[in-house]
Amino acid sequence: MNYFIDIMLIAIGAALINNFIFYYFVGICPFIGVSRNVDMAFGMGCAVTFVMSIAAFVSWTITSLVLIPGAPISSYIGAFFMTAENAQKIDLTILSYIIYIFVIASSVQFVEMYVRKFFPSLYKSFGVFLPLITTNCAILFACLTIMSHVSGVENPADAWDLGRALSLAFFGGVGFTIAIVVMAGIREELDLCDIPKPFKGAAITLVVGGILAFAFMGFTGVNSGLRKALTFDEPAAQVEQDESAKDRGSQGRINEMPAELVAGEKVLKLNARTSVR
Amino acid sequence: MADQPTPLERFIQGILPENPVYRQLLGLCPTLAVTNSMKAAVTMAAAVAFVLLCANMVTSLIRNLLKPHLRIVVFTLTIATFVTIADRLLAAYMYQMSKTLGPYIPLIIVNCLIICRCEVCASKQPVFTAISDAAGQSLGYGLALASVAGVREILGTGMFFGFRVLPATWPDWAVMVLPPGAFITLGLLLGAVNWYSGRGAK
Amino acid sequence: MAETDKDPAEKKNRFQNNYILQAWLCISLALIFGISLAAVQAALGPVIIENKLNETKEKVPELLLGGEAADKMAASKQAFKITPRSIAVEKNGIKKFYSVFEARFEDGRLGGWVTKVDGQGYADKIELLLGLDPSIETITGLFILDQKETPGLGNKIIETKWRGQFAGKSTRDHLKVVKGGAKVANEIDAVTGATISSDSVVTIINKTITDLRQPLKDAGRMKKE
Repeated sequence: MNYFIDIMLIAIGAALINNFIFYYFVGICPFIGVSRNVDMAFGMGCAVTFVMSIAAFVSWTITSLVLIPGAPISSYIGAFFMTAENAQKIDLTILSYIIYIFVIASSVQFVEMYVRKFFPSLYKSFGVFLPLITTNCAILFACLTIMSHVSGVENPADAWDLGRALSLAFFGGVGFTIAIVVMAGIREELDLCDIPKPFKGAAITLVVGGILAFAFMGFTGVNSGLRKALTFDEPAAQVEQDESAKDRGSQGRINEMPAELVAGEKVLKLNARTSVR
Repeated sequence: MADQPTPLERFIQGILPENPVYRQLLGLCPTLAVTNSMKAAVTMAAAVAFVLLCANMVTSLIRNLLKPHLRIVVFTLTIATFVTIADRLLAAYMYQMSKTLGPYIPLIIVNCLIICRCEVCASKQPVFTAISDAAGQSLGYGLALASVAGVREILGTGMFFGFRVLPATWPDWAVMVLPPGAFITLGLLLGAVNWYSGRGAK
Repeated sequence: MAETDKDPAEKKNRFQNNYILQAWLCISLALIFGISLAAVQAALGPVIIENKLNETKEKVPELLLGGEAADKMAASKQAFKITPRSIAVEKNGIKKFYSVFEARFEDGRLGGWVTKVDGQGYADKIELLLGLDPSIETITGLFILDQKETPGLGNKIIETKWRGQFAGKSTRDHLKVVKGGAKVANEIDAVTGATISSDSVVTIINKTITDLRQPLKDAGRMKKE
């Protein structure tokens, strides 16, 4: 249940609250270049969502299985050349950016082939914009966000699993689509207005984008409110220090297991089991 | 081949006539994202300059050896390597700034500006021309970032590079340091530059 | 004239059309880049890890002793011995790891604990450092490491004035956020116009103290050298 709530919060966060275009400023180039009519904008949004999901899937897999220290594949192969303990420490994250950009380029190539085979009319209407998705900041940004939650966390238990990663990528793409379609709708109307010459084109698009960003700012705080409403995380067992005075029976007792002090290691493991009312 | 711009001309062209942000509309993502404060904007411009110079140099050096089909792959590899180096250098020697800039340094890899310059200029010109082109474009990019950042920081916090410029009674325009302010500032400045260039053409 | 012109162009074409040479070019480029990246990692990797730890370590004296005492300690060339630790707390079947820093004086006495925690704020995650005295009875200080709250409103939680309220608070009762001035010992005055941000910080602190109170007390008792 907690997992599902987490996924939902990540999804709403990526799509609306921390919208890729209006909060993180990634994906601006297609936002200005492609948002001239709604159909094309919607097609572009779908393509970006598709590519983002594939790229996120592959990059999460590679990061978790090969790049981070202690990853299964790198430590398995490393064990042939050095002791198993040292093999656990092999850290290949320096190669992350190179690997991500190649994964993205390959995903775009794959999607291009797929669209050309099965949706030829769509392929023709896209023209040159489909290969240009490779340089779309939004996809690399999604991969980088996933990386920061997998290899950038301080302890491995907090690392994101595949579900969360895919949720971020897919709903980030959905948010991108929403933004670009709204913008396209506005621009279709703008074409009929009398805009001063210096502002025609990119300038007025940016100003209108700013007003849209204002609107999306209204979503701030939805995440924290939702989280409070949905998580049944009891804030605390209000257990007082001198327990001798109060007899709570079988509830609210803190059971302590003896601590294991592993000599030489910096990890102190204590399991304090709090049974809460 | 005779009417190619000289290196000096390329350098000057990059500053305003072919300014990457205001005229070519390239690299807009960092222009909106890191221009919260002047320090961040200048650091980002320096990082882009570093990557652009190195990538242009390497591309120009191997321009005659490379089969055209492999161009994009090799450009991407080069740019990604230099961006990784820049990112690590920043994290090692300017840790706080690296945290502020966050994911926008790796995003230099997909910054259209660098791939465009490599493709258009460096893969066809000798090394010195490529370097001067890179220098001009990065200077233009830095100026563009600085202009947006200057407006946003002065109006949004009353400070410039951390020094107080406006009196303390200035009510900080908080919107300027938030996303909408970025969009509107860049849009208005772009309109202003368009008007100025259009006036000259009349 | 035409023949000498053709020669370099032909050489270029031959090089470009020779797949083996192209493959070698790509491989050697990849090798050069790979080696330079490995060198960068070897040289800068430790520096970056050090930077990350120092971010917390340099705040420890100020968090545990307060501004003036920390300055005095630095002036007399004394320093805490700071050891990072990780404490696992299990609640309702889920294990949560806390990153704590144990600070000892030069003579071995326990100076206090500093823990780095994060939690959901109003806009995004808030990351903070909480200083606790050795007996976990008092909060000695609070420092906000990272926040993305509204500038001008929720942003004010980083100000020294607001954070100073936490120094000296007892951990016996949970802290509560009130508007308009704190009257009782366990109350914290909210930032004007940013009640949710203030509430988030206090919630994070309460949760941390509840989870870590017993483990830290035991850790302090056990490590008596």
